[in-house]
Parts: sequence; C-alpha cells; structure tokens
Amino acid sequence: MQVFFFQKHLLFLNMKKYTLLFISYTLLFLNHCSTDLEETIEPEIITPSNEVTEPVNNSNNTSSQNTTTTTSFDHKGMLINWADNIIIPAITDFQNSLIQLQETANTFTNDPAVENLTSLREICLKSYSKWQYVEMFDIGVAEEIYFKNRMNLYPVNTGKVEDNISNQNYDLEISSNFSSQGFSTIDYLLFGIDDNDDNIISKYSDANLNYGTYLSDIVDKMVDLTNQVKAQWESSYREYFIESIDNTATSSINLIVNDFIFYFEKGYRANKFGIPAGVFSGNPLPDRIESYYGEKYSKILALEAGNAIDQFFNGKNYLDSSEVGLSLNQYLDYLEDDDENKLSEKINNQLKIAKDKILELNDNFKTQIEDNNNQMLATYDAIQKTVVLLKVDMLQKLNISVDYADADGD
Amino acid sequence: MLKTYFREATQHPAPLAVFRILFGLLMLYALLRFWANNWIETLYINPKFHFKYFGFSWVNDLGVFNYLIYIICIISCIGIILGYRYRISIISFFLIFTYIELIDKTTYLNHYYFTSCVAFLLCFLPAASYFSLDAHKNKEVSKIPSWNIDALRFFLCIVYFYAGIAKINSDWLIEAQPLSIWLKSKYDMPILGQILQFKFIHYAASWFGMLYDVFIPFFLCFKRTRKAAFLFVILFHVMTKIFFPSIGMFPFIMIFCALIFFDDSIHKKWIIQLKNIIRVIKNFIKKNKIQNTKNADVIYKNDSLVLPVLICFFVFQLIFPLRYLAYPGELFWNEEGYRFSWRVMLMEKKGYTTFKIKDSVTNKTFYVDNSDFLSSFQEKQMSFQPDFILEYAHYLAKHFENQGHKNIQVFADSFVALNGRPSQRFIDPNVDLNKKIESFKHKKWVLPLKDEIYGL
Repeated sequence: MQVFFFQKHLLFLNMKKYTLLFISYTLLFLNHCSTDLEETIEPEIITPSNEVTEPVNNSNNTSSQNTTTTTSFDHKGMLINWADNIIIPAITDFQNSLIQLQETANTFTNDPAVENLTSLREICLKSYSKWQYVEMFDIGVAEEIYFKNRMNLYPVNTGKVEDNISNQNYDLEISSNFSSQGFSTIDYLLFGIDDNDDNIISKYSDANLNYGTYLSDIVDKMVDLTNQVKAQWESSYREYFIESIDNTATSSINLIVNDFIFYFEKGYRANKFGIPAGVFSGNPLPDRIESYYGEKYSKILALEAGNAIDQFFNGKNYLDSSEVGLSLNQYLDYLEDDDENKLSEKINNQLKIAKDKILELNDNFKTQIEDNNNQMLATYDAIQKTVVLLKVDMLQKLNISVDYADADGD
Repeated sequence: MLKTYFREATQHPAPLAVFRILFGLLMLYALLRFWANNWIETLYINPKFHFKYFGFSWVNDLGVFNYLIYIICIISCIGIILGYRYRISIISFFLIFTYIELIDKTTYLNHYYFTSCVAFLLCFLPAASYFSLDAHKNKEVSKIPSWNIDALRFFLCIVYFYAGIAKINSDWLIEAQPLSIWLKSKYDMPILGQILQFKFIHYAASWFGMLYDVFIPFFLCFKRTRKAAFLFVILFHVMTKIFFPSIGMFPFIMIFCALIFFDDSIHKKWIIQLKNIIRVIKNFIKKNKIQNTKNADVIYKNDSLVLPVLICFFVFQLIFPLRYLAYPGELFWNEEGYRFSWRVMLMEKKGYTTFKIKDSVTNKTFYVDNSDFLSSFQEKQMSFQPDFILEYAHYLAKHFENQGHKNIQVFADSFVALNGRPSQRFIDPNVDLNKKIESFKHKKWVLPLKDEIYGL
C-alpha cells in the first residue's frame, strides 16, 4: 500500500534531484519496514487466562521486552493482563467478600450479640481491604453508576445517616445520599453510633430504631452495585476493553492510565493523607481519615491501597503477585531512552520510600495526626514525589492524551 | 528600479483574488468548526479566570456576547469571500479574530497568530479589486503593483524560514526530540504505527522537517522549482495532519496560502473558469444572455500610507522573533521570547505546578486545588509557562485576600519535563511570587534547566 502511494507521487515529480532523493528515502523506508514487519508479526503470547498458574507473560518475556527497542510494545497484551489478571480477579474477590459481609450482617441483625458484632467487623475490614484494589478502576459501568463515590465516600454524613434511619424514608440512588452509604457508613454503623459496644448492640437490639434495617439496606445496595460492575466485565465489556488499544482520549489504555493517576492523586494521596493532615486547609482535619470510627483501620487500608497501586503499576497478578505481566512498568521500559536512569525504577523506589514512611505511622491516623502531624506531612510529601513522576515524567513518555477539554495544538 | 517596483502596476490581481477567496472560505470553516466544537463556551465563557497577554489585560471575555461577535466575524468572512464591502469586512474580521485570541493566552497557537497577521496584511492589499462584488459594481482592476502580492509571499517566507531555523538545535536534530516521543505514541496507526517505532524514522522526520521549513520558501520563489516545491508543501502538510490530527486547520491554511507563489496567469485561468461557471448559471436563471464585456486596462494605485505601514510590519516580523537573544538562559525552558516567533512543534513540555499559600506572620500554610480555579486545559498550560505561573499566583493572592486571609505569600511547587528529560524543579520554591512583578525582564525565579540545548 505504502509503496503505491509514494510511487504515485513520484510520477508527478519531474525534478530529477528530488526524485532521486525521494527514491532513496522510500527504499530505505521500505527496506527497513519489510524486514521488520516480518519480525514483529510473530504473535506474542496473548492467551488470556483467569487461572493463577498461567500468567499472560512470564517474567522472562518481560525482560526481553526491555532490551529490544525494535519490537513494538504489545499494547493488547497489557490490556489483557490488566483485565484478566488484575481487574476482573480483584472485582471477583471483592464481590465474594461482600457476599460474606452480607451474610454476616444478616446474622448480626437477626441476633445482635457481641460475638456477631466482632465477626461482622472482621469481615467488614476484610471487604474494605479488598475494595482498595477495585476503587481505581473507574471505567465502564463503574463510572456510570458512580461506583467509587457510592462505595467509599468519606467522611460519612452522620446527620444524614441518622435522619435516614429515623425517617425510614430514603433513596440511596440520589447523590445527596452518596455520603450516607458505602463503607464509611458501615464504619459508622458498626463503631460510631454509640460510645461502647454494649450501647451499640442495644441500639441494634431495639428493632424500632431501625439500625439493623439500614445496615442491611446499605450492604444490599453495595452487593447490588458490585454485581452490576462485575456483570459488565463478564459480558462483552472485556472484549471491548482489550480491543481498544488506540491512543485516543476514549481508548482503554488512556482511560485506565488516567484513572490510575487520578486515583493516586485524589483517592490515595489527598483523601487518605493530604486532607486529614491539613495540606489543603491549613488545619489538620483528623476526622477526615478513612474508617474514622474503626480507628485502627486507617493504616491497614492505606497500606492495602499502596499495594494495589504497586500491583497495577508493575502488572502483578492479583491472585499471585509473583506472576508478572505487562503493565506500565514494562511499557515505560520499552519507551526508555536512558537505561542507567530508568523512570520505572524511580517510580518503584519512590513508592517504596512512601511505603516505608507509612509503615512507621501510628495504626490510627487520627492519633498520628493529633500526636505528630509532621510525620504525616512527611509521608504525604513522599507520596507527592510519585505524583510528579507519574503526571509529568510518565505522561510525557507515554504521550497519552489526557481527558483535557480538547483544543487544537501546534 | 526600486521606484518602478513600488510604483508601477505590472501584475494582474488574480492571485490576490484567489487568496482572498480561499482565506475567507478557510476562516469561515474554521470559525464554524470552533463553534461546533463548543470551544466558544469551554475556552472563553466557562473559565472563571483568563490568562492575559502582557499589556492586554483590558481584553475581557464578553460572556454570551462572544457568540454575537462570532456571528459578526462569520458575516465578515462571507464579505471577504464575496468581496462585498471588502475593506470593512476584512478590518472587522481582523479586529474580532485578534480580539478573541487576546482574551486568553492559554489558547495561543502559532496559526492563530499567523491568521491575524495575514488578515492584517489583507486590510491593506487590493484583494477585492478583481472578481468581487465590489469590483463588479465599480470596475475590475487589471493591473496592480506587484509588491502587493509579494508582501504575502514574503510573509510566508518569513514564517517558514523562522520555523526552520528554530529547528536547528540539538534536541531536534541530534536527539530527534520531541518527534521521538510523539511518533512512538502513534503506535495505533495502521501500517505506519509499527514503522514509527524506529529511531531512524524519528531522525529522518526531524531532519526532513527542518530542511523543508528552511528551504521551501526559496524553492517556492523560483519558477523552475515551484511545482515540485508545491508538491512537497502538500506532502509535508498532509503528513503532519495525519500524524498530528490535533493541529487542526493549520496544514490546510498553509497549503492554500502557498498557492500565492504561482504566477498570475494560473490564477487568472482559475478565475476565468469560475467566471464561466457563474455566467452559465446566470444565463440559465435569467435566460437573457449577458455579454462578456472586455474591459480596458484599469490600473490600481495604492494609498501612499500603505507602504510605510507594511514596511513597519515587516521590520517587526523580522526582528520580533529574535528577541529571545536578549534573554539569558534556555529559551525552551524559560520561554522568554518563545511565542510569536514561529516556533512550531518544537517542544514536548509537561509540568505539574501547585501553589502554597502562606501567612507570613502565623506561618500557616495550605495548598490550592488548581481545579477550583482553572479549566484542565488552562491548568495544563499554566503548569510549565513562567508567565502563566506568575499571573495565576497573583490571582490566587487576590482571591484569598478577598476571602479574608492576611499577609499572603504564594509559593510554587513546580516540576517540569522537557523533550524527554527527567522532570526537575522549575520555580524557586522559596520565592514569594506575590512579590514578583510581570515584565519583559528576565525571570530570575525560574530555576535553570540542568542541561544544555545547543543551536539557534
């Protein structure tokens, strides 16, 4: 095709000089691409698999990607790895944990005993932890139904929750109720509705107070929303997702990378650290932490979220993190010009530094902020450095069109 | 000789007429496209705050009236195409188009500036003296002084040549940047996507682009090379449109403008064909045959003011792009003298800039969420351009002062990456930007690029 196109143009050129120049260019062009197309056409391993034992790309394959710059990067392979080894397994696992949460919640509301409350809290933490692996993928149905806002908007609006419970008349679909449902609401319902466990249990024991009903409604709604997201991935959406390999504002790679960066900056950096530490307000706001009422959960959840970020960036299989497939790490290595000073390594180092700082924090971020907010701010700064690497260095290398209001460039 | 060149009418005005019609059509399309994309709203009406050109802070967006001036601009375009009340049409087009561009420098594009410059030139040239409604009413001119056409040619030469020599730098020619980054990311193009992964293609494209820009004006000027050169113009600009669809109208504008280099005989032929078509249509409608009246030679004389104005314009055009030489430091990094200099597609620059507001007495600080004030497009542009950063810092200071904050200091936490280099700190984080004043002077609070770019 290319040949004919250029030759056609050649016919119009009567200038010998240009013709020669042009022919030599074209030959160079064709010579190189023909030999090369043969090389690249050789199919890369793109057998998708949900099984743990069969990763999409083993680590050997990955390292060979790094060294050869002439072979094109397998964009579809990356999408398949994201879909089959990271996103879908994470949603599935989360869905299962929610169903367990639903059962335990039913047990508790039917029989509000101390041991049932304890196991409900445990299951809730488990489910909340698994949610950290799902939140960043704000794509498809998840985006349409405001999945992340309905599952984990915090701080909880306790006044609204109490109103809903006493009025018994609420519509969980409307946005004004987004901060009175989801995990932050469960957190409040399980830990915060009274001073101590005995009093909490007595509130649930009184059926007229409706706490049990509201808890069940909230959990049911979460299960329902998650089912919708999962169902879309199980239907045709996966196919659509892995086929959309273009570099346009609406293609899968760009959407996911944007989601990832947005999550890192907002959901992770700002919500979990920056806002409670008072970075944006001047005054610390310890009541803005995630799982405020569960108190000691905030650090666990932040660490899980950090792990989810590491897993996605490096292409680690959700079910077995020793299995590594294609992801941004490998993509950046493919685009890397400076092998001495790899961006992927810089990002991983910075993620590690931030993780070490988080590990040193108090289990309860509220206590941490009240006792020594400077340590919290230092942690925030360490995370912030990764934001620069992702938003500036990585986006420049990927040259991904971000969902800016589109305008001409030159 | 010079005297006769400027005085004597030797050329047929057909090239100007063709230029006028094509320019009008392209601008009409461009304006409608701008409207259809809803950019009047997203770029001019929605933002709370506009980044102003230094000295043009009095240019404000007009809210809903933006649509009104757009309509006037579109009507002006039709006037230009038809050559109906041409002088008023082109002047109102120039004024409105330029006004719109001055509202917010976020949207600065070289080809908008190019459009304003061409429209300015057209205000003074007899582009409607032939094949226009105005000429139809009065008398068609058959001879004009040739510099009227050469002015447009010369301007195009300046644009190409300056764009070309701007590419003679180590990033473009030795690192093949930013084309390396851009072409690699076109992996999704059929067939070409694979080829574009090769480094040598990036080099070939960079060198070809530079040589094209530097030499094309000369090849267009000489009759012997003109046809081949024009094929290259088409090839080059179509290629840029394929690789970089987001450059919008620019390739088409340049291709059509380059037609001005062709002899008046060719343009005349086109217009005569057009006239024939019009006559056939007219005859078909009216049934009574219109005679082809042969006009005697009508000679056009320029107003005596025109020449001095254009000479000033060209002196400005020749000198202004070189003002960067007066600034220390790296031009691509500091962007002092970067705009209005035909520097096209030279940089892949990305930034991340956040602002810390500090009370200098209580030492209390907080960071600003840029999305509270800027559109994402504005934020993107602000993040790597020092004058934007300063202007926005002042805006923030004023905003928080009005909110009751006191003793405000504004510090920028800014990181920028240029042409594939790792990001580095851009603005001195210890400098209170609220104390710095915008001027044409060198901005010392921009930290120097930790690398050197050689070249012009």
